[in-house]
Amino acid sequence: MASIAQAHEPRFPRQPGTGYPLDDNRGTWGMWLTIATEATLFVLLFSSYFFLENNKDRWHIDEPPKMHLAFIMLAILVASSFVLHWGEKQLKLERYLRARLALGVTILMGLGFLAVSAAEYLDHWKELTPYSDSYGSIFYTIVSFHAAHVIVGLLILSYTLVMPRYSPALRSPYRPYHVASLYWHFVDTVWIFIVGLLYVMPNVRVYGF
Amino acid sequence: MSSTAIAEKLKSEWETPRSLWGKLATVDHKEIGIRYIVTAMVFLILGGIEALILRVQLFRPEQAVVSPEMYDQLFSMHGITMIFWYAQPILSGFAVYVIPLMIGSRDMAFSRLNAFTYWVYLLSGILLYIAPCMGQAPHAGWFSYLPYTGTRYSPEYGLDFYALSLILFTISMTGGAINFIVTIMRMRAPGLTINRMPLFLYSTFTISWVSIFAMPALTAACVFMELDRRWGTHFFSIADGGNPLLWQQLFWFFGHPWVYIIFLPATGMLSMIIPVFSRRPIVGYHWVAAATMLTGAVGFSVWLHHMFTTGMSDMAMSFFSAGSMLISIFTTIQVFAWVATMWKGRLVMTTSMLYAVGSIALLVIGGLSGSFTGIIPVDWQVHNTYFVVAHIHYVLIGSNLFPVFAAFYYWLPKMTGRLSNETVGKWSFWLMFIGFNVGFFPMHIVGLLGMPRRIYTYPAGLGLQPLNMIETIGAFVLGIGILVSIVNWFTSLRTGAIAGKNPWNADTLEWDTDSPPEPYSVVHIPTVASRHPLWDEHDESYDPDNERVFDHGRLTLVSTWLDAEPYAISKMPEETISPLLVSLALFGFFLALVFQQMWLVLASFVCVLLLSYYWLWPRPEGEEVA
Repeated sequence: MASIAQAHEPRFPRQPGTGYPLDDNRGTWGMWLTIATEATLFVLLFSSYFFLENNKDRWHIDEPPKMHLAFIMLAILVASSFVLHWGEKQLKLERYLRARLALGVTILMGLGFLAVSAAEYLDHWKELTPYSDSYGSIFYTIVSFHAAHVIVGLLILSYTLVMPRYSPALRSPYRPYHVASLYWHFVDTVWIFIVGLLYVMPNVRVYGF
Repeated sequence: MSSTAIAEKLKSEWETPRSLWGKLATVDHKEIGIRYIVTAMVFLILGGIEALILRVQLFRPEQAVVSPEMYDQLFSMHGITMIFWYAQPILSGFAVYVIPLMIGSRDMAFSRLNAFTYWVYLLSGILLYIAPCMGQAPHAGWFSYLPYTGTRYSPEYGLDFYALSLILFTISMTGGAINFIVTIMRMRAPGLTINRMPLFLYSTFTISWVSIFAMPALTAACVFMELDRRWGTHFFSIADGGNPLLWQQLFWFFGHPWVYIIFLPATGMLSMIIPVFSRRPIVGYHWVAAATMLTGAVGFSVWLHHMFTTGMSDMAMSFFSAGSMLISIFTTIQVFAWVATMWKGRLVMTTSMLYAVGSIALLVIGGLSGSFTGIIPVDWQVHNTYFVVAHIHYVLIGSNLFPVFAAFYYWLPKMTGRLSNETVGKWSFWLMFIGFNVGFFPMHIVGLLGMPRRIYTYPAGLGLQPLNMIETIGAFVLGIGILVSIVNWFTSLRTGAIAGKNPWNADTLEWDTDSPPEPYSVVHIPTVASRHPLWDEHDESYDPDNERVFDHGRLTLVSTWLDAEPYAISKMPEETISPLLVSLALFGFFLALVFQQMWLVLASFVCVLLLSYYWLWPRPEGEEVA
């Protein structure tokens, strides 16, 4: 009991009159559970994709999606996760300015992702729209769901960016930086799966390795 | 400090102001739990009235009490209301009220989220009920199969309300599930280790995890439906490469776990109530706990048994048939544990216990007809007949309505401080029990005779008339029985005998608080030394040096999830109106989506965003939260 309490000691002072440190964990748990349910949503979207693909002759991928922009987007997102993780390390070392800077850079990279994403949409739209057939519908639904998650992630990160303090406080929210970056890493991970399943696999099927 | 002074101090910290603002801004789990219960009971009455109109229509052959279109809307609204807006929220209501008391905590882990999920639940129900007010209620049953629910056959707004109000509802249910999981894992009193947890906690914990993984399927299905209906996509249209079975797959991937979501907490209630009125610990505690969790897990591998008639490989049918049979083993473990508990115990036949015993009987009948329909040839024979209607009602009324009534008679004295009238309660039980069996048992027979469900009438001369008349009479007796209990509870608010702390001599921690509990619930956070805290020698509130009082603000204890060793203190939020404001903005968002008013959608989204920022913005130390 004492050892667990001590592990929390450096972050938060003991609450007056209680003998225990302040709990800063519930928010993190809440975010992990949110990620669990959101990840299930994406798993089910992918399952729907494969379910429709199983329609055989009624499923058309005339031309597999071009991959170069998707890989650029992947690079941007994965790099942004590393920047944000570096920022979180700085936060733990109490270098708050650097942490804030890392957050700003992550947001800019996220905006970059959205810009390339828009270019990809414009390019792709010439061959395929959500109204073309079931493939177009599920493809655009999955990438748009992801884009919506990127936008929500950016809104959460921007909110964290303008928050007045990063130092331990006695009032909620206790660990906004940590919770926000958990969500951002999740959004990144989803894009890895999208690139693999929606971009690379159809290309492999048509062109081989 | 004397204990009265401490109580005064705690009260000043935790009390919600008695004003309109206090009512709208409260985050007290006791207040919110009662709201859940009252709202769910309103939906039960609405769904019940709809059902009675259906039964009047079917009283004689070829009647025209309601038009065929109206009949479709009524049975759809009945199913949707009962399965979504009554069956789970009523269990959430009891859980929100009872669980923090049962684990010796002063509130749920996220008390503002708790208020938010309640408001979203209420507003999603209002969103659904706008549709019948416009005369365009959903009309395709509670599972709304495509392609009938596409715009070609259902151009009205009814199914848009269905899809979007369900998405709003999933937000509420998912938020609630997250709250229950974190509460049960982190907020338990010192010593309330995982192998001492009351079984109601096991069942709520299980279904919260099930919700986390099942609700997204409903969200995805409803999103696809809405996109197909109003935004020109092709998920379900065969001609453009879609597949209507995608809806069924997603809906039942959610739908069957949902059956356990509305079933397991009710069995958890029975596992609390039956041992108390058998005056002994439950037989096979570990077995019941394991069976509960296994039901939740295996519940994910049975969903295709709703689709045996759609055509699938023998392998798939065998797998899902076996899965469905496997589930019945876990349920049987629970049933045998209850029966053995009663067998070995000294029974005290209170009204609550009567309802509990009655529900076991109904549950066994429903379980048996479920095993029938799990066998594929039988399923093919009785698919879409009244046999299935009989089965679902035996399961849901046996494993949800009757346990909920048992829970009302058991926990209502804790909430109101007064006992309900036992004689009237027993009358209500017998009316409900007889009415239900008279009303629903003949449905097995008319189903086997071939009467299809969801048809607004039947021709004379098929021999269906007498049984249908009996069913209608039984349904009204059941309705009267329910009404008798509701009247009983309202009159007991004023005239009931004072309950005192522990009227049933029960074993769990919630019975160690005042009835009704003070806003802070307990003066000393209790410590637990056994599975039955109030039946053992250990004094839960022994705290001579006031070390577990925590009266410097709204504080409660946080503990480790296996051994419940306290390691931190958590600060609970003050009253705030932001949950209500955010849920109102969300309501606007979904209402605007129904009518595709995209500027309003955008405006509501911005409102949701700004209000969420306001909700989460850190307040300076010491300042009261507005």
